Amino acid sequence: MAQRVVKPRTNLGPGFWPVTAFIIVVSAIMSYFTLTSPWPIGLIPAGEPAPATDALFRFLGAVGATIFNIVTIYTIYFGIVFAKPKNALPNAIGVQIHDAPVLEFWWTAIPTILIVVLAIYSTKIWLDIQNTQGDVLTVEAISYQYGYQFRYPRLAQPVSGEMHLPLNTPTTIHVTSRDVIHGFWIPEMRIKADMVPGLINTLRVTPTVPGRYPIICTEFCGVGHGSMKTTLVVQSQQDFSKWFAQQGGSQSSAGGGGGIPLSTGTVDAGKVLFGQKCSACHSTGPFSQKIVGPGLGQIFSDPAHPKLVNGSDPTTQNVANIVKNGFQGDIGTMPSAQMNAISNKDIANLVVYLASLSKK
Amino acid sequence: MATLAPGVKTGPYHAVLDHIHPEPTSFIRKYIFSIDHKVIGYQYMITGGLFFLIAGLLAELIRTQLLSPNGAIVSAATYNQIYSMHGSAMVWMVIIPLVTGGFGNFVMPLQIGARDVAFPWLNLAAFWMFPVAGVILFSSFLWGAPDAGWTEYPPVSLQGPPGTSMWCVAIFLIGISSTLTGINFIVTIYKMRAPGMTLTRMPLFVWGQFGTAGLSFIATTALAGALLALFLERTFGVPFYDPKHGGSPVLWQHMFWFYSHPAVYIMILPVFGIISEVLPTFSRKPVFGYKMIAFSTVAIALLGFSVWAHHMFTSGMVPWLQLPFMIITMVIAVPTGIKIFSWMATLWGGSIHWTTPMLFATGFLITFTCGGLTGFFLAAVPLDYHEHGTYFVVAHLHYVLYGGSVMGLFAGIYYWWPKMTGRMYNEVLGYWHFWLTFIAFNGTFMPMHWLGLLGMPRRVALYDPQFQFWNVFATISSYVLAGSVLIFLYNFATSFRSGKIAGPNPWGARTLEWMISSPPPYYNYKKIPAVLATPYDFGNPLPYIGLEAAAGAEEATPTAASHPVPTL
Repeated sequence: MAQRVVKPRTNLGPGFWPVTAFIIVVSAIMSYFTLTSPWPIGLIPAGEPAPATDALFRFLGAVGATIFNIVTIYTIYFGIVFAKPKNALPNAIGVQIHDAPVLEFWWTAIPTILIVVLAIYSTKIWLDIQNTQGDVLTVEAISYQYGYQFRYPRLAQPVSGEMHLPLNTPTTIHVTSRDVIHGFWIPEMRIKADMVPGLINTLRVTPTVPGRYPIICTEFCGVGHGSMKTTLVVQSQQDFSKWFAQQGGSQSSAGGGGGIPLSTGTVDAGKVLFGQKCSACHSTGPFSQKIVGPGLGQIFSDPAHPKLVNGSDPTTQNVANIVKNGFQGDIGTMPSAQMNAISNKDIANLVVYLASLSKK
Repeated sequence: MATLAPGVKTGPYHAVLDHIHPEPTSFIRKYIFSIDHKVIGYQYMITGGLFFLIAGLLAELIRTQLLSPNGAIVSAATYNQIYSMHGSAMVWMVIIPLVTGGFGNFVMPLQIGARDVAFPWLNLAAFWMFPVAGVILFSSFLWGAPDAGWTEYPPVSLQGPPGTSMWCVAIFLIGISSTLTGINFIVTIYKMRAPGMTLTRMPLFVWGQFGTAGLSFIATTALAGALLALFLERTFGVPFYDPKHGGSPVLWQHMFWFYSHPAVYIMILPVFGIISEVLPTFSRKPVFGYKMIAFSTVAIALLGFSVWAHHMFTSGMVPWLQLPFMIITMVIAVPTGIKIFSWMATLWGGSIHWTTPMLFATGFLITFTCGGLTGFFLAAVPLDYHEHGTYFVVAHLHYVLYGGSVMGLFAGIYYWWPKMTGRMYNEVLGYWHFWLTFIAFNGTFMPMHWLGLLGMPRRVALYDPQFQFWNVFATISSYVLAGSVLIFLYNFATSFRSGKIAGPNPWGARTLEWMISSPPPYYNYKKIPAVLATPYDFGNPLPYIGLEAAAGAEEATPTAASHPVPTL
């Protein structure tokens, strides 16, 4: 029969409090450097919302480092001081303790409180990002295998290659894709959205530091994925205007439905096109006969819906605008004509066809 | 059953259990189409281990390619197939079959004092789907393997090589296998525990299997639906996902992650169970906070169903919906934290035997905690806007899956190796394996955190030259990691031939499987024992009555007389 082999312990173990002090000091130092770091992620914050994201990163970094220190240092410390000594009897056992409700209460309660704090703080930053001002300039970014195109208001042709944004201008970027899912990531702005075909995602940024920043694809999109990137050029308002003029942009070439030869449309061509391009989502019945979008049969003469979904009057030009630019609202999302590969001539045919339906 | 203690109830079912079936004698019924849960467990482990080596080789090809910013060895198209197959195989053909089919089959019925699982023929059927699925998956290389990552997001997966359809079939098949195993284990654990083994007296490994079985059983159906739709779209053009024909690419993501996030817990809950067995055994202490560990397992399993969209914060959904998914994801840290702290408290005041399984279990504590904390960085939506789709995610998931699941699997293999084979492994080689794994693992995956934060997207065959140093660093570390696996293989190959005879209970463990000879006999228990308490009270006599223990098993376990209980 073996003798009593484990000394009763009356404290938490040799060196417990010095180790605890060590954990506190190390965590405090690490937290200090994390919280005061100007670039915690290692990248310059080149515009809104990067500073907000960095603040959250600093906070989480400090909390994470502290928890990691607690777990790692205590684990190693317990492993060393409670290791079975070489001369101990082989049947030595440890302290036969099953639980400690007070301790368990606190290690449930403190993380819970911490999570409430983190959730509130993350939500606050999230709201900041959602409410980042945009809309002074609105740009559409459209991806394809393997590249990006950008459409600016009052610019007839999309811009391929680099994206240009003027300094300190709250900008809304609508992103979508022509073929497969791509990513649109500006690391220096800490912002990203997937570019999903048939769906428009929205980003808002305000560039604050001039420079050239990468735009990187972050969703696997095929063999060219690894090299799918372009550059965001953030430049002063004057330089941006100069660049914009070079692209052929001017105040006079009106946006919207301008350039659509509405008078040249034919009903028969429109009917064929409607079957190919529209009928998956739209019926030719009344508004209420929805498939994905509303029925378009009475779009020009529906007493129940005297306005179009975008609030404009049901004129042929306004209908053409919706087909041209797409629509996003409570009722759903319709891709633009460019997304649907519909030419201006096609739009004219479609509008004439829709007008013929309403007259019946 | 005459030997039961007062208060231990038996049903008519337990009398039936006293009947011992004769062992099959033909080679085929004994080793190939066996219905013995232990043989099926070995089969899962051998098959899964083989796939682990293949998928590990693919991982080394990935790392070798990334030695150079322009891609060192293969074309981008081939590279895409390699990493997609690496991920798919590691998740579905290695970790899930090993933690459930392998360890679950071998250990769980032994631990609850059963002769087999509830549906042995179902078990046989579930196993044989696994190698078939594996062969289908790996043979897709012959026709062009899937190349859109293990997530296979459409529409790009609709453009994928023909092997993508085979991928659908293989994963569908392994999904059926996993669902069947889930049903089997739920019934086994619920109905076949030895008399007296109440739910709160089950070993914690059984709790882990219980949670996982529920997850596999419920979540896999969503994946099956998604895969079927992808297969139909690829093969017959049925438009589920392609927006050109009215489908929705985001639909796939919802269905895929509705399975694949619970799958993360399928891969980790049994490993939590392994850790909860190894730590008390080698600390010679009752596991700290048994009930809290068991309940947190269930809490994680339940919460795991309502966080899937945290993989999709950038995909495009109603913005406010991101908040509940973020908060529930963060809440999962509470039960996980309870487990981590309880395991640390199990170490405290122990009489710790630093064997190889114990090293892996404590290494798990550190690496898994690191993986859990980076999970927080990804759960916080604003940070996910930066980190999604980058190497930061790759680092996080490998800390959870390699630093978590695979480290835990190694702990389990070393721990139950003597029980499975009857022989000991070489402890010194085990130490080498652990330390090389621990250091090389961190060397491989730690740099990926900052690579991702600084702007390296995942799934790229080429990358910006500024990232080359840390990629080379990770690649060299990964070679060391592969070397550590070779040590492991060598250790176990020599153990088969010349390992010391282990005896029934080399560790002095107290769960039921250690009470019988190693390897266990065909019928497991001559008589089904009655269970009086949780197994982990090292200061108390064994809580089993009516057990005909193997010679030597009781000797190694302490009794009240030899081990007076110390007090604080």
